[in-house]
Amino acid sequence: MHIRYKATITNGAGRRGFFVLCFWGAAALAAPWLAPHAPDAYVGKAFSSPSLQHWFGTNDVGQDILSQLLFSARTSLIVALSAAGLANAAGLVIGGGCALLGDRADRTAARLIDIWLVIPPILGAMLAAAYLRPSPVLLAVILAAFFWTNSARLVRAQTLALKESDKIAAVRAIGAGPVYVFRRHILPEVWPVLWATIIHDARRAVFMEAGLAFLGICDPTAPSWGRMIQQALAFTYLDAWRWWLVPAGLAVSTVVVAFSLVGYALETVQNPRLAAHPEVSDAADR
Amino acid sequence: MRIRRLTVDYGTALLILCSLGFILPRLLPGDPFLAIYGEEALLNMTPETKAAIISSLSLDKPLGEQFAAYWLALLRGDLGWSYFFQAPVLSVIGAFLPWSLLLSGSALVLSTLAGFIAGVESGARRGSRFDNFSFTGLMALGGIPDFFIGALLLLAFAVHWPLFPLGGAVTAYGGKSGWALGADVLRHLALPLASLFAVRLASVYLLTRATVVGLLGSPFIRTARAKGCSAAAIRYRHIGRAALLPIATTAGLHLAHLFAGVLMVEILFGYPGMGALFGKALSARDYPLLQGILLVGTLTVLATNFLVDSLYPILDARVRKTCTSATKQQ
Repeated sequence: MHIRYKATITNGAGRRGFFVLCFWGAAALAAPWLAPHAPDAYVGKAFSSPSLQHWFGTNDVGQDILSQLLFSARTSLIVALSAAGLANAAGLVIGGGCALLGDRADRTAARLIDIWLVIPPILGAMLAAAYLRPSPVLLAVILAAFFWTNSARLVRAQTLALKESDKIAAVRAIGAGPVYVFRRHILPEVWPVLWATIIHDARRAVFMEAGLAFLGICDPTAPSWGRMIQQALAFTYLDAWRWWLVPAGLAVSTVVVAFSLVGYALETVQNPRLAAHPEVSDAADR
Repeated sequence: MRIRRLTVDYGTALLILCSLGFILPRLLPGDPFLAIYGEEALLNMTPETKAAIISSLSLDKPLGEQFAAYWLALLRGDLGWSYFFQAPVLSVIGAFLPWSLLLSGSALVLSTLAGFIAGVESGARRGSRFDNFSFTGLMALGGIPDFFIGALLLLAFAVHWPLFPLGGAVTAYGGKSGWALGADVLRHLALPLASLFAVRLASVYLLTRATVVGLLGSPFIRTARAKGCSAAAIRYRHIGRAALLPIATTAGLHLAHLFAGVLMVEILFGYPGMGALFGKALSARDYPLLQGILLVGTLTVLATNFLVDSLYPILDARVRKTCTSATKQQ
């Protein structure tokens, strides 16, 4: 399948999402230089309101909230990118591998995928995380362990369809091995589909990281938007939530929405029927 | 054939999830007893209770026998002993479950209904101002985590403008009965319900809209228009009817998200359901309770999904057809 990546960015929704992601990506990368303080340093009076010194004020123990926001972007995006990357790498290898090997390996793997798909990822990850109290990287591994089936199923279906095509038969006839065929002829065709699941997995991972941290299931040394919301909720009777809870919540929401916008734009480019073109609308529109 | 396949799938998934509850505590470094019950529990325990637990879990026996004991206990419905509540886990959960069912059940019904109507209206008028507005708005709403929407509602309507109570399910020692009690319960339900509703509304809406848009060009819609059916009849008796099935099934399949959402929203509002219990279990590190809650949730979700999955061919003639022809080919 050929997709015009540029169209994803020129699509209004996709462009907005892409810019928001770039903004948070830059914030996460440059956090040590942008942040005025270390996220866990006690640098001011507790509950000071926003000022020139502390743009977003300070929290209950006098930590700088702006610095915490910036460093939390790191945690969130590290979890999102590594969970999505791992899940899709595993999906690619398992899905593509079993489709190419075929026969018994394929049947076993397909069955395993079917079974794994039945497990609700959100509950499985919660169960595992509640025991292991994971660091961001371990959390990404746990999430990937429950996310990989989607891409594995897609890659397998695509590979199976392509395997029967004439061009693959021709390449095999020249003597190309399965790994070469996969890398040179199947991977380029599978990529576009994989992009959509990568974005989807990243979105779910951001949400899960924040949600688990909100529940208190997190590494206490890693700053997290979810944990900021949880801590701020204990002080609703003060005004601190305005510069403490709301920015953290907005940060999670903008990242999640940005991922959905980019994902939606990708889907629209791949399947133009979904786009909102008034001239195509033909029924019941009176 | 299909049912048997599904039963194997769901059965194996259940085995994997239940075994996780056995494997995870033993993966942690140190004494499995410590991992299963946590350090705090150990300090509050008499040696007799400890000995009783060790023998009931067969922790002094080899790993194989421990696994067998774990499964036998699960089959008996014995999820362990909650040291925090000093009661069996299952009975603790039973006491908290009804409030969660009230909250999640009403959220499921209301959001599915409203999302369906909004999705049909919006999809049928694809490209109109109403469609663009609701699509963008709901897409943004759907990205906001349930606990953040809940926190905003709490701060706005309970703290800033105290229209609704801050938390709980009924006014404690209110001494109300009859209609007054009912009104009190509804007043407490309003904010948690609104946050769950807002998040789920978006997902039902987006799915309905996509399904409706996909159906718009189908021949049977053109036929209906040619017959002179009214716009409302086309939207609901033709498009809506055809879109109903995928929406009903995904309502069942999204139950896991609803369950997790309920956990977070209940903790937020101090609503005395499974979520509040989960929060207590987490802060007290009452692991058997924690695991019990997640297992009950998983079991509910798996059972519902299994039901939905196996009823699907009965509800949709098209699936039934393809299933039987596929079996014949084999």
